[in-house]
Amino acid sequence: MTKIVYKHIHLENSHTLAVYKSVGGYQALEKALTLSGDDIIDEVKRSGIRGRGGAGFPAGLKWSFIPKDDRAKYLVCNADEGEPGTCKDRDIMRYVPHQLIEGMVIAGYAVRAERGYIYIRGEFYREAERLQAAIDEAYAAGYLGNNVMGRGVRFDLAVHRGGGAYVCGEETGLIESLEGKKGQPRLKPPFPANIGLYGGPTVINNVETLTSVPDIILNGGAWYSALGVEKSSGTKVFAVSGHVNKPGNYEVELGIPLKVLLEEYAGGVRGGWDNLKGVIPGGASSPVFTKAVCETVTMDYDAIAKAGSMLGSGAVIVLDRSVCIVRAIARLSRFYRHESCGQCSPCREGTGWLSQIMQRIEQGKGVRGDIDLLLSVASNIQGKTICALGDAAAMPVAGAIRAFREEFEYHIEHGRCMVA
Amino acid sequence: MPTLIIDGKEISVQPGATIMEAARLLGVYIPHFCYHPQLSIAGNCRMCLVEVEKMPRPVVSCAMPVSEGMVVKTDSDMVRKGRQAVMEFLLINHPLDCPVCDQGGECTLQDLAMKYGPDRSRYHEHKRHAHDYDLGPLLETEMNRCIHCTRCIRFTDEVAGTSEMGAIYRGDHMQVGPYTSRPLSSELTGNLAELCPVGALNNKPFHFQARGWELKKSDTVCGHCAVGCQQRVDHLNDQIKRVMARRCLEINQTWLCDKGRFAYDGLTRNRLEQPLLRSEENNRLMPVSWVTALDRAAELLKRFKPEEVAGLASEAGQGAEELYAFQDFLRNVVGTAHLDHRLRQRDFSADEVPLTRADLAMNTSLSQLAKADLILLIGFEPRYETPLLNVRLRQATLNGARAFAVQPRRMHHSLANLTQIVVRPGAEVAYLNSLLQELQAEGIAQSELAVAWKAAKQPVVLLGNYAIVHPQAEAMRRAAVALLEQARALGGQWNGFNRVAGRGNAAAAQDLGVVPHRGPGYRRLERHGRHAQQILQGAANGEIRVLLLLGCDPTLEGVDTALARAALSKCVVIYVGAVETAAAAMATVVLPGLTNNERPTTLTNVEGRAQRSAMAVMGPVQAKEDWRIFRALSDRFAKPLPYNTREALRAQMAAVDHRYALDNLEAGELTAACDHKPVTTGLPLAADGMGGSGLLLVVEPAHFQDDAVTRQSTILSQLTLGRTAPLGALRINPQDAGGAGIQEGQKVRLICGDRQVECVASLDESVPAQVVFGDMGQGGALLQDLCSWESGFPQVSLVGL
Repeated sequence: MTKIVYKHIHLENSHTLAVYKSVGGYQALEKALTLSGDDIIDEVKRSGIRGRGGAGFPAGLKWSFIPKDDRAKYLVCNADEGEPGTCKDRDIMRYVPHQLIEGMVIAGYAVRAERGYIYIRGEFYREAERLQAAIDEAYAAGYLGNNVMGRGVRFDLAVHRGGGAYVCGEETGLIESLEGKKGQPRLKPPFPANIGLYGGPTVINNVETLTSVPDIILNGGAWYSALGVEKSSGTKVFAVSGHVNKPGNYEVELGIPLKVLLEEYAGGVRGGWDNLKGVIPGGASSPVFTKAVCETVTMDYDAIAKAGSMLGSGAVIVLDRSVCIVRAIARLSRFYRHESCGQCSPCREGTGWLSQIMQRIEQGKGVRGDIDLLLSVASNIQGKTICALGDAAAMPVAGAIRAFREEFEYHIEHGRCMVA
Repeated sequence: MPTLIIDGKEISVQPGATIMEAARLLGVYIPHFCYHPQLSIAGNCRMCLVEVEKMPRPVVSCAMPVSEGMVVKTDSDMVRKGRQAVMEFLLINHPLDCPVCDQGGECTLQDLAMKYGPDRSRYHEHKRHAHDYDLGPLLETEMNRCIHCTRCIRFTDEVAGTSEMGAIYRGDHMQVGPYTSRPLSSELTGNLAELCPVGALNNKPFHFQARGWELKKSDTVCGHCAVGCQQRVDHLNDQIKRVMARRCLEINQTWLCDKGRFAYDGLTRNRLEQPLLRSEENNRLMPVSWVTALDRAAELLKRFKPEEVAGLASEAGQGAEELYAFQDFLRNVVGTAHLDHRLRQRDFSADEVPLTRADLAMNTSLSQLAKADLILLIGFEPRYETPLLNVRLRQATLNGARAFAVQPRRMHHSLANLTQIVVRPGAEVAYLNSLLQELQAEGIAQSELAVAWKAAKQPVVLLGNYAIVHPQAEAMRRAAVALLEQARALGGQWNGFNRVAGRGNAAAAQDLGVVPHRGPGYRRLERHGRHAQQILQGAANGEIRVLLLLGCDPTLEGVDTALARAALSKCVVIYVGAVETAAAAMATVVLPGLTNNERPTTLTNVEGRAQRSAMAVMGPVQAKEDWRIFRALSDRFAKPLPYNTREALRAQMAAVDHRYALDNLEAGELTAACDHKPVTTGLPLAADGMGGSGLLLVVEPAHFQDDAVTRQSTILSQLTLGRTAPLGALRINPQDAGGAGIQEGQKVRLICGDRQVECVASLDESVPAQVVFGDMGQGGALLQDLCSWESGFPQVSLVGL
């Protein structure tokens, strides 16, 4: 199967410029610099690549929103990778940082941004070091700086380490944090494409999205869009974790059946397919699938949405029958309570409330009506918050109740877990 | 202009306006907590959700810009459900202690909970507990009630410029409060209590004093500085309980400074409550009837020749009616020309030139100030002299204006982009003249200020108290006029000349002729009387025999207090005023008057905007409106003043100055002073500054305690206003102090010629070398005793004790 972002990670010293160049690195940039910015944007549009960070917004379209005015523009790479279960970007930065840098220079050239930032989560200390080393190499080799590849294009790139807040993975929270402020998402509109970092038009893309760009430019958007399925083109890294025999990052074409991903790539569910209880298909904020759904669903944006969840960041969390859903969701709720920035009322108060109820049920102190209360609170949060964190906190709770209501009822009725 | 439909009503609004603003124009109320028209948009309470057709989710109306053809529903099912949800979230951790909450009855949260809140709680977990803070003498906190709307944070960031409030921690642990454990330093702190939509930040002096619905409310105008903020006085049983801001976009927007808000407690202390007469038996002031007191006062006034009678008034604390009757009585009944209100002024040389209001007040309106692109402050500390004017200046600097301050020491400013230029007292004229020469010279300007001045399109100059009372005030004023002329910013579209006489009603005193050289309405007089300095000198050497004082105490607030004491002890003093002062104690007759808030009155602000203020509470039973006292005295001269009612008096004021006519009062659009230029353009400039080597003494008014009422206020006396030295202390540069072997808090003796004063020294980094600063009218021994009109800034020597 075709690989794009991970195609070189098996090489020894794949993170160095020498190795990257030996496998054709920076040829895409050379080609891109012969094209106009609009041609590049068109190529990326043609590829149909959608944002790999979670929201799945078409990247080419996002780039085309950048106004053609005199203001300084910025390109920001979102390397915060905070979604629980996700670790796909870490391997990109660890093993092929130059591919990301190349993608960023191309993207910066396309949208006329002369400054780029990689906002990396604070915990990724080694990855930040690797990135910095790669950036230093790229500067020395003339791929970054005032005169990229001698073509008179300017692009500067810097790594900024975050403090580890989940909400700083939200693009405007990230911008605030990058500006040195408390990481609280901004109101939208205005969108970053118009008023973003330091008030300038800003493109923010996920690591995986940007790392895919060199291959799109080199091979053409049509080639890329032929991969995967309609409206979900290209490849995607799925970070499979949990109760599988071979957890890990797997780059596959979109549209692969979930069952194939788990059974053929991830070594199968622990204790066999029939031991599967459910799968969280797209990171902690996506609603959980029951085994029945897992039998048939394919891993592409539309199919997963149709089945009632989200592709998200591609973090596939596998739960076998030993898992108490109530406990798992209680833990997730505690995470969201802890990570809410506290800015807007529904999220600040709602995440705390959800977590307290979940905690109570988990401890056997649930009362009748708690399930309906959870659903009501979750739906009261949804759609009323400044950023998507509120939704992200509400959806897994509501999704878990939808899928495993009887476990919640058992917990409340018997004061203990159905599983163990 | 985009057109949209809100609840079936169509409206066109400015592009960029929000749905909330459009709805307000239509009169459609959208509930909200965090939105405040004078603050930036936070959009965090989520209460103002509305439904917009073709949008899948409810949108926050305070932040969503309108677009053409938008169809908004503010009361649909989706909206109601959304608001109910938000309301419940806000209430789950909010203590339901409305019965003991100061905000109860006038609380946005309470009101909206009645409409959208559930009638019982579904929240059975523990409620969150938040820390309370000591924010100083003005604010009481009960942070459990906080709903995290961040209005207070945005206020201190944007308006006050102190950034003292913030939110620490995250999620439901988020806590709003000060970053440090120090009390808030802002001069606008009281606004936090007013803009807090719940009872988290409370007005401390008002804490548990009354319930909102018990209070009677009167619309008045603040007379404690010259900005003239519109305020609402809330009172119960004839006692003022608190003061709130009225919304007036032209003047105070929605704010008040702490002086205006908390001075009211000074009204009830040390009042003159009944007429007093000095007894011939024991030489003490004894209560008498009004008839006796008035008869005696008239008899004293008639006993001497008219030219032996003089009057001094304080502009602060007096209404225009009082000031008009005062000069009318002295000029037309007694027949003297000796009257003045400029006790603090040193330079009277401009009296020879027929100055008009354009020379003496502001020509840029307060709302125009925010549009200035270059601000030059000369001897002006706007943050404390006129806090609400400073809010506009801060707005201008946030909009990108550059600001420069030419001043005798580093002052406390809250302006962005500010360069402070410290100029030695006496050298200001030389500095301004050299700046002028630099601007007039061919070639490229060198200094930062000159470069900015050349680039400025709408510069403003503001002369503050220090520049007005400066020994070379007129030379500085002319230099400022010349600078603006150089920039072509004097009339036409933009007039940047502003003389900010910051004391309450100073403009009315000028308008209505409480000066010896000009009658009311800027009418020129043939015969000039004595000005303040000459009156006191005349009284001290026996040429003036009777002194009529209206609310002023020359022994406390004049330039030369030693001279004033000598003058008052030599002549007969008739004191008309509301508050006990040292001057009243030296009087032969004391006639008790009233203060603003106790009488309907007219106050003219520094822009020249005359406003009427209502009576809020009763004063002491026996006290009279001051103008009625002069009216009653005039009867005894058989030359009654031609007005028996306030209306008749006001009609006469309007006849001499049309700006006091009812139609011109509180005009939304200020009759632009821009029309007339300062008349003194083209006048010769002073050749140079004053010399003066050695240690100079500068005496400044104590901020927020510079009129009779504010001096009595215990609330205001607790405010530090950014100063480190105690009030009354002599502020000295640490290096100078080190050289003289003086330590913090040490007693020192200041010597100037044959005069000397002892006081406490305080080391202050903001004071330049070879200058010391003291407070006017503070401390046991008055530093003004060392000053005199002749000497300019006194050169003193300092001895540690």
